[in-house]
Amino acid sequence: MNRDLHLTVRSDPKLLGSIRSLVRSWVDSWDVDVKTADEVVLAIDEACTNAIRHAYEGRCDGSLELTLHAAEEHLEFQVSDAGVSCPSECTERRPLQPPEVDDLEPGGLGIQLIYKVFDEVDFCRGESGGNCVTMKLKRSK
Amino acid sequence: MGLTIDKEKSSSGFLIRVVGEVDLYSSPELREAILKAVPSAEGGLAIDMAGVTYIDSSGVATLVEGLRSAREHGTGFALVSPSPAVLQVLELARLDSIFEVR
Repeated sequence: MNRDLHLTVRSDPKLLGSIRSLVRSWVDSWDVDVKTADEVVLAIDEACTNAIRHAYEGRCDGSLELTLHAAEEHLEFQVSDAGVSCPSECTERRPLQPPEVDDLEPGGLGIQLIYKVFDEVDFCRGESGGNCVTMKLKRSK
Repeated sequence: MGLTIDKEKSSSGFLIRVVGEVDLYSSPELREAILKAVPSAEGGLAIDMAGVTYIDSSGVATLVEGLRSAREHGTGFALVSPSPAVLQVLELARLDSIFEVR
C-alpha cells in the first residue's frame, strides 16, 4: 500500500514546525525507534533550513518540495528547491569531532548532521540551479 | 510550539529561561537575548534549557556564539538542566563537552 507523502511548501521558516510534525507522524507509522525518529526529523529540518537559508538566501517566496517514500528496504526522504545551487565543497562529508571553541565553524553543521543520521545521502544540483538531497534510512527487519 | 524566553537577573548572575522549539525561525530571538545579556551578566550567564522540546543546528550555533561572546567578555556561560532534546543534538554534533552544564 502506497503511503508516500509529497509536499510543496513555501520557503518560510515559520512553516518548519509544521513540517517537523508531519515528518514525525509519518516516520512514527513505520516502526522506527524514538531516537532515530528524533534524528530523522532533525535532519529533514536541517535540509529544509539549508534550502531556505542558502538556496533561497532567506527569502520566503521560494518553494520546497518534500517527498517521503517507503521502499521495501528503506525509508527515503527527498528535499528539493529551485534556488541557488550549493557548491560541492559545502556538501562534502567532514568528520564531526569535539572542537576547541575558538575553532568552531558556525556553519555547515546541518549537512554533517544529515550524513550522521542517514545510511545514504546524495546531493545533486540542477544545471540551471536548484538542489536536491535524497536521504535513505534502512528499515529494521 | 514556538518559543518563549524569560530573563532574570540575580546577585549570582543572569538567567535566560528558554521554553519551546529553537529552529531557524525562533533562534534569532534567542541569539539576540543571549548576546544582549552577555555584557551585563556579571557573575555569569546561565541558559535554562529544561523546557526546550526541540533544537537544531541554528539553535546550537546560537549557543556557541553565546559561549564565545561570554569568553570574550571574561564571563561564565553555562547550560542549566538541558532537556533530552538538547543533549541529543549536542551529542550528535560532538559538542556535548564544550559547554559547562549544571
